Amino acid sequence: MSTILVVDDEYLIANILGWALEDEGFDVELAGNGQKALDLLKGKRVELVITDYMMPVMDGEALAVSIRAEPLLQALPIILMSGAQAHKGRDNPRLFAAVFDKPFDIDQLIAKVKELVGAPEAP
Amino acid sequence: MEPLKRLATGIPGLDELLKGGLVVGASYIVQGRPGSGKTILANQLAFNHVAHGGRVLVATLLSESHERLFQYLSTLSFFDPAKIGAQLQFVSAFDTMEQEGLDEVVKLLRGEISRHQASLLIVDGLLNARSRAETPLDTKKFIAELHGHAAFAGCTVLFLTSSRLEDGSPEHTMVDGVIELGDELFGSRSVRRIQLRKTRGSGALSGIHECEITEDGIQVYPRLESLYSHPTGLGTGELTRVPSGVPVFDSMLGGGLPAASVTLAMGPSGIGKTSLGVSFLGAATAAEPGLHFGFYETPHRLRLKAGALGYDFAAMERAGALRIAWQPTTEGVLDDVGMRLLRLVEQHNIKRVLIDSLGAFTRLASNPMRLNEFFRALTGELRARDVSVLATWEMRDIFGSEINAPAPDLSSIVDNLLLMRFVEMESELKRLLSILKVRDSYYDPALLELIISDHGIDLQKAFSQATGVMSGTPSQVPGS
Repeated sequence: MSTILVVDDEYLIANILGWALEDEGFDVELAGNGQKALDLLKGKRVELVITDYMMPVMDGEALAVSIRAEPLLQALPIILMSGAQAHKGRDNPRLFAAVFDKPFDIDQLIAKVKELVGAPEAP
Repeated sequence: MEPLKRLATGIPGLDELLKGGLVVGASYIVQGRPGSGKTILANQLAFNHVAHGGRVLVATLLSESHERLFQYLSTLSFFDPAKIGAQLQFVSAFDTMEQEGLDEVVKLLRGEISRHQASLLIVDGLLNARSRAETPLDTKKFIAELHGHAAFAGCTVLFLTSSRLEDGSPEHTMVDGVIELGDELFGSRSVRRIQLRKTRGSGALSGIHECEITEDGIQVYPRLESLYSHPTGLGTGELTRVPSGVPVFDSMLGGGLPAASVTLAMGPSGIGKTSLGVSFLGAATAAEPGLHFGFYETPHRLRLKAGALGYDFAAMERAGALRIAWQPTTEGVLDDVGMRLLRLVEQHNIKRVLIDSLGAFTRLASNPMRLNEFFRALTGELRARDVSVLATWEMRDIFGSEINAPAPDLSSIVDNLLLMRFVEMESELKRLLSILKVRDSYYDPALLELIISDHGIDLQKAFSQATGVMSGTPSQVPGS
């Protein structure tokens, strides 16, 4: 069973995405900003991170840089979802496995998730 | 006395209301029901501030997503997505407030202010903080703490709320200023209003002002009488005369109209008020240009009308002696139109103005109670700029003895009063003009017959053989 960490200060988007992923059979963890995500990653195995860009305390780019700097997490794929800052993610393919513009098509995002971590086994 | 440092809002009219802008480091509540324009006002301010080198943090306590906000703002001209995420940060504190409470929101935002070195903080959704607070004291504390942290960093704070907080509410006591937005119906037209309910440490323009929302955002029109409660100058104060455009009339007035005076020509439709005005404008020169500020005739029709009276307005316009500023508006904001007139006078060094008609202004007034103050400020400012004004006023009755003054306390607005009437005499309809009043001047009180021809306007002393002429139905003087 793959666990996906959704990082967004806008709880509505985090929740909607979280529910959609759970419906597909993934385990989902939520964090409200980059720092909370890093704290959570210390104690929990996660297969994929989906993060917003603009967040309080630590933004999505800083989160991705921190993850890449952590030897154990170097291979952890990260998807960026952002409106105004999506281009910053596209300029940085080393940090982000995929970039989605907000508002995004949730089916396309889920297809990308399955491509990156594989479809969960049927429950 | 050290003047307070100001953060210009860049919103047209609002900085005039605030006497330069928001006070740096102060906190404000912006209140108004949903749809009243709070969000536009705050974001317009945010983008303007960023454009001038400021840094802005927008924190929402609402559940609405930022993407939806951006979609909505993208229809407005000030919206610049390139600034978002850089100098302009949008963060949500909704989850923090729900999960961890207001104290944690304060902590979070304090950190964000210093992290982004924000010079302006906008907190949207104060009502939510209020409902999350256990006691009114908690909201008060929330505002006080956030303001305290922000002020320490030199950061100005706006709290947006859709609740209608009363003047004595705990929230109001904690902030330096309260800006209220609202709208109400005036006939079938909705009029947007802005009011500064509280402004600490600044002589803001109080009272209610009208505003509009267009694709450029909010535009505030300060009440003309609040901007010009004192005219900007004293005028020359010299008792000189300017030609009225009708030589016979000038001689009856003892040399012309008093300079920098306001003349009102009252009369029914078709009596020749505009023709009189055309003659008045015909006396303009390139050194002392004239302005036609009219609501009815298009420039083309006005030129034709002037041509029929023997004036070549197009040539005068080319020579810089005349400007025609047609106001096609039947809807609009009174103060906007008034300011437009004053701006034209300023820009083109106008020295004589025909306002055709004053009545068109009254139709724009959503609150007729202010008209007298409005006209007083407008004409006062025109006098201060040494402008001679002729204004027209259409009277309802074509005949009849009843004469209604256009506004109470007319003498504070106009210096000279002319009355024009139709008179039926010897089976002919004649135009009568009489001088009721001239400022600081003797005048010939004879009743005059107005004759309009292709040589302009002529006046002849007439009606000396009749009485009751002003009523429109005279009778012969016995024995004549």
